[in-house]
Amino acid sequence: MNTATINKKSDLYKMLNQFELGDNISECLTCGACNSRCTWFDGEGGPLPRQIIRMAALGLDEQLVNSNMLWDCLLCNRCTQGCPMGITMDKVVRKARSLVIADDNIPKDIKTGIKNRIELGDVNALTKEEFVETVEWVSEEFVDEVDDPKAEIPHDIKGTKLLYLPNPRELGINLLHLTAMAKLFYATKETWTLSAHHTDVTNWGYFVGNDDITKKMALMVVEPAEELGVETLVLSECGHGYHALKYLLEDIIGRKPGFEVVSMPELILRYAKKGLLKFDPGVHPYKVAYHDPCNIGRKSGGYDAPRELLSMVCEGVVELIPSREDGVCCGGGGGILQDSTSKNKRMITGKPKADQMKATGLPHLATACLSCHRQLSELSNHFKLGIKVDTVASLTSESLIL
Amino acid sequence: MKKTTLNILIIGGGVAGMAAAQTFADQDVAIHLVEKESVLGGHAAMWACMATDTCQNCGACLSIEMADQVQKQENVISHLDTIVEAINKKDQGYEVILEDKETFSVEKIIMATGFSPFNPVQINSFHYDEYKNVITTADLNTILQEETLSGYFNGKPDPKIAFIQCVGSRNRELGKDYCSQVCCKISMRHAGKLTHLYPESDITLFHMDLQVIGKEIRSLFNTLSKNIALVQGVPAEILEDNQTKMLNIVVEDKETLSRVSRAFDLIVLSVGMQPSPTLETTAGILDLKSNSWGFFNTDQAALSRDVVIAGCANGPKDILTSKQEGRIAAAKIMDDLGLNEKKELNIAVFGEGIQADRTARIISSKGYHTYLFGPGTDPENDRRIISISGTAGSFSLYYESKNKKQYLTCAAIIAAVEPEQSLNRLDSLTNPSLSLDAFSQMVEETPDTCPDTSIIMLDYFGPEFKYSARLALKTAVKVKALGKNISIIMNKMLVHGAMGQRIYDTARQQGVNFFRFEACEDLKLEDSGNGFLIKLKEATLPSIELNLNCDCLVLPPNLTPAAGFKDTAALLRQSLDREGFLQSANIRHRLTRSPRKGIFFAGTCHDETDKDDLNNEINEILSEFATESFDLPAVETGVEINQEMCAQCLTCIRICPHSAIVMNQKNRPQIVADSCFSCHLCVSNCPAYAIESKTLANDQIAQKVEKNKMVILACERSSALAAGRLTLPDNITLIPIPCACRISSDVILKALLNGASKVIVAGCHEDNCRSLEGSNIADASVRKVLSIPGMDAAKVAWEPIAANETRKLENIISKA
Repeated sequence: MNTATINKKSDLYKMLNQFELGDNISECLTCGACNSRCTWFDGEGGPLPRQIIRMAALGLDEQLVNSNMLWDCLLCNRCTQGCPMGITMDKVVRKARSLVIADDNIPKDIKTGIKNRIELGDVNALTKEEFVETVEWVSEEFVDEVDDPKAEIPHDIKGTKLLYLPNPRELGINLLHLTAMAKLFYATKETWTLSAHHTDVTNWGYFVGNDDITKKMALMVVEPAEELGVETLVLSECGHGYHALKYLLEDIIGRKPGFEVVSMPELILRYAKKGLLKFDPGVHPYKVAYHDPCNIGRKSGGYDAPRELLSMVCEGVVELIPSREDGVCCGGGGGILQDSTSKNKRMITGKPKADQMKATGLPHLATACLSCHRQLSELSNHFKLGIKVDTVASLTSESLIL
Repeated sequence: MKKTTLNILIIGGGVAGMAAAQTFADQDVAIHLVEKESVLGGHAAMWACMATDTCQNCGACLSIEMADQVQKQENVISHLDTIVEAINKKDQGYEVILEDKETFSVEKIIMATGFSPFNPVQINSFHYDEYKNVITTADLNTILQEETLSGYFNGKPDPKIAFIQCVGSRNRELGKDYCSQVCCKISMRHAGKLTHLYPESDITLFHMDLQVIGKEIRSLFNTLSKNIALVQGVPAEILEDNQTKMLNIVVEDKETLSRVSRAFDLIVLSVGMQPSPTLETTAGILDLKSNSWGFFNTDQAALSRDVVIAGCANGPKDILTSKQEGRIAAAKIMDDLGLNEKKELNIAVFGEGIQADRTARIISSKGYHTYLFGPGTDPENDRRIISISGTAGSFSLYYESKNKKQYLTCAAIIAAVEPEQSLNRLDSLTNPSLSLDAFSQMVEETPDTCPDTSIIMLDYFGPEFKYSARLALKTAVKVKALGKNISIIMNKMLVHGAMGQRIYDTARQQGVNFFRFEACEDLKLEDSGNGFLIKLKEATLPSIELNLNCDCLVLPPNLTPAAGFKDTAALLRQSLDREGFLQSANIRHRLTRSPRKGIFFAGTCHDETDKDDLNNEINEILSEFATESFDLPAVETGVEINQEMCAQCLTCIRICPHSAIVMNQKNRPQIVADSCFSCHLCVSNCPAYAIESKTLANDQIAQKVEKNKMVILACERSSALAAGRLTLPDNITLIPIPCACRISSDVILKALLNGASKVIVAGCHEDNCRSLEGSNIADASVRKVLSIPGMDAAKVAWEPIAANETRKLENIISKA
């Protein structure tokens, strides 16, 4: 058995116990509620939430880093939902991941992605030229699709009302999703643009818990958007992007941004409610189950917009059990999906989700995060569920009446 | 005789309200009692009986007995099925308007509006409203009362059952950062009841810090810990398995260092207490300010001079404490209104420490002549008792002082003797440890000498007492304020009282370290230089052994019965409890009473008490002095000694559980009416048949028997009350008797001779008899009859049936 001495001068202890600010995890009651709510459920391995908190609260930094729990944690906050002392696990784990001694534990892909983003402006190292080329090519396809010569996918235009911040996947392996989003923007009849400075909704600084990097990445989005003078920044469907750039943005950058931030489903819902967008639910003549991305639902309170929108474009929304505050993580959260070596582990962390999906008995599932979307699709294949997974916005685009 | 016009209002007819009403009625003060339900009794009357083979001292049946008595009081004007609609402040007092527009004026108001149980629907993840087999403690009470539990187990003899504690308690995020005080006790009693009903069941009780406080709960805990799993850590989510319909909970598995899913047939959510909606409305009407919890139990809340609050409206508490508060509230109002007749009473207090001193001082300050026996804190006081005779109102104390032997006549006696306090120490350690009291005193008086690192170790040498737990917390907070390090090692933290949880929260907020251990083997203590090294297998970190160093090791004292307890008990003619403390287990006399009228207990000599508890106990005793009539003429006992037939064998004096039979000046046994309880034990035991009952002689009972009908001889304090609301079928004759001990084998045989088809003797559960052994005596009488050769075993039975076991009685009747 390992022996350890408590250390109330440890880096982690100091970060998480700011007594004078009344912000400290030493308040943990050791009630154990968190242990019963880990998304790993009774899967083998994985974190024991109370042990994480206890090690952090006693300054056992080394033991915590060596426990492997830090990068097994999905940052889904399911464990601490309803914590009687209001402790949030993602904060504890992210701070622990940021420790110098934890640096070697950061997955290689995430380190590379962060380096690309900071140095080259894009997590996948997409250059400005590649961006312009890609957008213009997609734009041509788009013109054909909407059959309107005046239609286009604009980029780097100043003074538009809307700026779309895509997921890197939409400029890489999932270009069709970008086309689908363009169709929705087109239908709003508002001025909008893409931007070579806005190729990436992600913020991997958040995964590694590094405040400086998180802030830098957020400002890489905020400042050029302010220069473009947009009214509204529209986030592609991305869980942690939504949490960092909408829910936490003011905390991260320390000020209000010069524009409003909404997600794609929130934007579309707004136009739909005004009657400016119309949908044909008959395009999807079936019920669709909805998966709450933890970062959007539990961690940011964005439960309703995706559901409302989804209900307009199909026969109805079916809830997974449990859902909303108690929703189960897809198994790809917390940076695990961004680690290309994690596939096997993700099929363990995703097993409870797969069981939930199967229990619906439905062949259709939608979500509002492209990361969840990928993980859920892989779960469907791996567990032979035969479930087609879509994003809410793409289903919306398919139902759009132009 | 009414002393006053009606000018007192009690809102709420639960335990506290009824206790207050009874206290006024005892003093012939007429009052208004408003109750929203159609019967008195409150929540407690809906609670199930927790008795297993013996009474578990929950007190629930007590409320039915109280309701029965209060309803009979002429001076209690009950307004049932109605609520207070408006109260208007007048120059003097209030104008009260009820819902039915009845209006009256009062000067004083007691708010005894009770509590409402937390509704677990607020916590989605328990799925309380979706899953049939997720129930609350309140539901379980109903299920037990209705005897419908088997419907939840699909006929399984070995159901798996879980209890989850602290649902809606100890939760700052829900705005309920308080301990509900009673839920651990309730769940432990429930678990005991379920193991009794389903001996093969597999029960797990998940708790945060099991609140084992008080001697009865300690003894229950010792039994339970052998029969069920007590697991620290409360699950926060229940999910039903689609196929098996079992309820799944994920828990930490300390062996594999992983999470495992456990399946249960039934899960009981142990829900906390919150203020009743009536309290909120009434407080609004009266313009009173409650605290953030909606209660009035902290300094945050403000009452007015003419409003007194009692029972659970004043914060969560158990049945007996509610009763105590009701009595104290009534006594306070009578004091305020000058209704207490100043009585010239002599009161004797026994004890040799601070508690006796305190008791004597307070009693004396209320104008009673108080005599302290035992030195108290004054070494000069050398009064030593030689013997005690007499009964309440006129005890005669024969004592020695300054080498002189003297007599004192006193009305009542309070035992407040000190238990033995011993300092715990570990023989394997050379370095000296410090007692918690000494450490606390040092922090208070010479803070400069406080060591850099201290560890307080609770639970290690014996049961954790609430006094020590609270002192440890308060001292630790002070040590932290001095900028020093302090840790508390514990098995559980006791968070009793309104502020318990908040003080514990503060300690953690300030950086006091808390460590848990499961068993003493998890700790190894060693000397280390001038200090100590503790190697701890911490309960929440099973994969790590923690090395904790300290300069100073602090240990709470251990409380054990003092050597003199036996003598004190013998002098008072009272028995000791299982652990050797004063006051034997008998629910109906708690908290401070004894079965012998005029004999009281206060402080740690009889149970775990802190300073607040002691004050409440003294106030409760004072309320008895004010309202009990020690000096009244005899009441009708219904029992008389025929001196011509008396053989002077003294059996009656020996066996009277209430010590109400004394030798008179003619050296003859005499029943002191004012102390007699009419239990009739003397009647059924007098070898010379010299003690006669006016209405319950053997033949008189037997005459009530009807041919070919089943006879139930029912104790009027329990089984007869259980029958109260039933319409008995024609083939049943129910004969109320004052106590089951009245039933000798003679009575049963006479009943059978008179043609009874069957005789059932029904009374209290063992340990709940107000005359102590009544249940055992009745049981023995039944067995004696059954041992007669040729007796049909189906014809006679003993059945313990508490006042709240109506369904049980019904089932017995239906088999007649």
